[in-house]
Amino acid sequence: MSFIGNEEQIRFLQERFKMIYGVLFIGLAVLLSRMVYLQLINGDQMRQYAEENRIKRVKIPAPRGMMFDRFNRLLIDNRPAFDVLITPQYLRESGKSKEVIEKLSKVIKIPVAEIERKLNKARMQATFMPVSIKENLSRDEVAELETWKIDMPGVQVEMAISRTNLAKDIGSNLYGYIGRVSEPELPTLNQIASRKYQLDDSVGKSGLEKQYEEILRGVDGSELVEVDALGRRIQSAKAKGRVLSQNPEEPSVPGKNLILSIDQDLQDAAVRGFGDKTGGLIAIDPRTGEVLAMVSRPSFNPAEFARGIDPEVWQKLLADEAHPLRDKTIQDHYSPGSTFKAITAIAALEEGLIDKDTTFSCTGSINLGNRKVRCWNPKGHGVMNVVSALTHSCDVFFYRVAQKFKSVDDIAKYAMHMGLGHKTGIDVGREVPGLFPTEAWKQQRFNVPWSPGETLYVAIGQSFDLLTTIQLANAYASIVNGGILYKPRVVKAIQSEDGKILKEFVPQVMDRTKLKKETIDLVTEGLWGVVNAPGGTAYWTHVPGMEWAGKTGTVQLMTQKEGSKCENMPYSHRHHGVFVGYAPIKNPSIVVALVAEHACSGSHGASPIAKEVIKTYLQKYYPDLYSDKALAERKEAEKKNGGAKPKVETGGD
Amino acid sequence: MTYTSMETNLDQQFDPNRTSNYEEEFKWLKWVPLILEIIILTIGMINLSSATSVEDKSLGLWKNQLVSIGLGSVITLVLMFPHYSFLSRLAYLVYMGNMGLLLAVLAIGKSSLGAKRWISFGGFSLQPSELMKLSIVIFLAKYFENKNTTTGMSLKDLLMPTVFVMIPMALIIVQPDLGTAMIIMLVYGSMLLFLRIHPKTLLMLTLCAAVALPVVYNYGLKPYQRQRIVTFLDPMTDPKGAGYNSIQSMIAVGSGEMSGKGYKKGTQAHLNFLPEHHTDFIFSVFSEEWGFIGCGILLLFYALFIMSGLSVAYQSNDKFATLLAYGITSIFFWHVFVNMGMVMGMLPIVGVPLPFMSYGGSALLTAMSGVAILVNIANKKYMF
Repeated sequence: MSFIGNEEQIRFLQERFKMIYGVLFIGLAVLLSRMVYLQLINGDQMRQYAEENRIKRVKIPAPRGMMFDRFNRLLIDNRPAFDVLITPQYLRESGKSKEVIEKLSKVIKIPVAEIERKLNKARMQATFMPVSIKENLSRDEVAELETWKIDMPGVQVEMAISRTNLAKDIGSNLYGYIGRVSEPELPTLNQIASRKYQLDDSVGKSGLEKQYEEILRGVDGSELVEVDALGRRIQSAKAKGRVLSQNPEEPSVPGKNLILSIDQDLQDAAVRGFGDKTGGLIAIDPRTGEVLAMVSRPSFNPAEFARGIDPEVWQKLLADEAHPLRDKTIQDHYSPGSTFKAITAIAALEEGLIDKDTTFSCTGSINLGNRKVRCWNPKGHGVMNVVSALTHSCDVFFYRVAQKFKSVDDIAKYAMHMGLGHKTGIDVGREVPGLFPTEAWKQQRFNVPWSPGETLYVAIGQSFDLLTTIQLANAYASIVNGGILYKPRVVKAIQSEDGKILKEFVPQVMDRTKLKKETIDLVTEGLWGVVNAPGGTAYWTHVPGMEWAGKTGTVQLMTQKEGSKCENMPYSHRHHGVFVGYAPIKNPSIVVALVAEHACSGSHGASPIAKEVIKTYLQKYYPDLYSDKALAERKEAEKKNGGAKPKVETGGD
Repeated sequence: MTYTSMETNLDQQFDPNRTSNYEEEFKWLKWVPLILEIIILTIGMINLSSATSVEDKSLGLWKNQLVSIGLGSVITLVLMFPHYSFLSRLAYLVYMGNMGLLLAVLAIGKSSLGAKRWISFGGFSLQPSELMKLSIVIFLAKYFENKNTTTGMSLKDLLMPTVFVMIPMALIIVQPDLGTAMIIMLVYGSMLLFLRIHPKTLLMLTLCAAVALPVVYNYGLKPYQRQRIVTFLDPMTDPKGAGYNSIQSMIAVGSGEMSGKGYKKGTQAHLNFLPEHHTDFIFSVFSEEWGFIGCGILLLFYALFIMSGLSVAYQSNDKFATLLAYGITSIFFWHVFVNMGMVMGMLPIVGVPLPFMSYGGSALLTAMSGVAILVNIANKKYMF
């Protein structure tokens, strides 16, 4: 309909347009005022919200301090480890999750069902949060995954810092492991920590890692990074520029290094000696108390703990009857067996109960009331003085000596001063004290007075006494150094990350026993005979020209039936073998104590391990005297002098 | 000819006997809607190239938009030359054809993001609900062309057109495409108010709406739609969920402050905090990067554009053209108002694109067709 000639319509619509313009301007005014409100009045606030959206402060974890051995060889390091992760969202978006999972399964050799199980477990979390599928990938796996990257959307390889023991599991019980701070332990941890921990921080959980946590742990830094709406970090130069223009990063401060008194060569020797035997060995420098070697077998790999241990692996470690997590040198105690006879001898000599001329005749047993107490050698040793009694480990001699003591406390006194039955104070946590019996202790513990017959068993180390291997080593160290009891130390020095020594630890004397020179001479002569005199209980390990001494011990767990062989008993019933040795004979500089669990005897089960360590030690520290060539020459000389190696004596104590 | 006052000038425009001197002088005015379209489209493409440089599904989509512009230009040329009265003749056919497309969507439509709005032709997909806005306006212009509404329409007068509007609207609601349905409703309402509804009828309708509102809210809406309204009223009820889009969009707009963060430097958009940043929320990208100054200028262009549309309606020679131009202009107005209102947190979140700014072929073709019709009307005034 044309407007021509329709004035009424024209007027009407003109009027309407005024209204329409009114509505238009109101609408535009509303929009404009909203812009003013948001952008000009609240603009600063909104800008701040936008900044908070995109900029996150993230932690830069401080590198943890490393551990070195006494020759500055790296023991514990932070090494990169590679994990493979799947981001469910990307996997799903790719639309070919099945093929991707199948391919991944082939590369990392984990069944498809297992991968799906892990993805399923993470179903409840946000789909853009990556799910860890496998940790500690091998180099080949990483390389292969990188090649297939394009065909595997949603799969990513991430690097994490892992704590690595360069010697794999050797010494891990000493060094300990680190783990993530868990929710329940956070409050207690923060009560004692000088700097607060956060959830999922790394913290030392055992061994030196725990003991020296405050030193090894660095100061975490932080940096501002730009993130997207999913919280993913934007890794571009542009993003870096945008962030850096605003705020500098706070660099992290690396933790300090520990220089240990450990000699890795001796650690290796000890592990070589043990083979697949179970047990613990500790080597101490008797002049300072420094620990030269400290191994516990079997052990574990700390790398498995660093980023949260797999519950299955953890359960397996806990259930293992050989207790790989326990440090057998300080956390397990054993009867000392015959190795204690040296202390009995010292007590008797010092108390004046015997002297070098005192002899007893061994017929294989003595009568105690109406009971017969046997020597380990039923044939008897004949007439024994203190030196030959130690060499042959004659029980009857020490029964007789024990009968001379007025009280067991007279033996206990010496044992205590030599550090037995209480913690040595070594700078590694969770040391157990052990026990050395006294009359008062028995009264209190069992409410029964001490019976004099029991002293006999104390004298040969088969009583209530429970000692750690380190106590044994330390006691012998104090014998050979003339009565000084040092506090054993593993950490020699604390070093800054750039190699400056910040603190050096000096030997610390815990106790002194005034021992007569004659006493020490007699006992060490006996101990020399054990290894070097024909008939000594460890004479079969004698190496002509290699000067070392020691004492064997066998700890019976079950009474052995007459005529039966230890080797035929069930494994868990077999005797423990104990050995304490030292070298060189003059001015000893190493004491080695070890327990070889269920190894049947100190002579055959334990002494070869000590020999391996001591030989390694002597050849390394005294290369001129103990090289293979020098040893061979001296062997020839000994042969000429007519000394012949006797038949190996079996069942030696 | 000279004129003495505004009064006479207004009268003159409807004077069939006036000479063309005045028209000669303001000849360029006839092209104003097209010029403004090109200006806003240019701004839109610059902004879209920023919005589609985000690494997500939108990456590089501005190229597709260029293709749509090319296609739209062809359609503009086609629609500009024949006399617009062909639209009057074809009005019912256009309406029926578009209805057919809407039914086709129901039958063979393509789904995306839980809605079935598209039909594919080879590589193209078309969104018939966008075109329906224009079809309905053409339909209503034709319908009311010969009706005298100066005394105000009664309920009876409203019945037939309402039925014809409601049928396509129902088809659009089931897709569901609430935004388009809402625009159609607003455009229809604008046209009715323009034509005048009898005050009594208006009052009655208002009362009915007041009663129906809670019923529709409780039974007519899907839970997610209700959630949108709740979060619109108070976005903080669920800042990480349903209110997230609204809050992030307001932050984007506000954080632009006076002069903006700069081209491609909007962190909200480029770090993916903004949802649908290349389509419905394109304005938040623009305001974040260009600030209040940019927004003000853009709003000014939209205001001029809408006013130029109204002026085409005002100056046209017949009632069909007036209603058509007015209806098309009201489509633009409501798109701008609802979209910006939603982006700035004043209105609930419904899917309504911003003309010439949002990515989307069907919406762009519809908008360009609308402008072509406006220019056609403006130019054909004296050609008969």
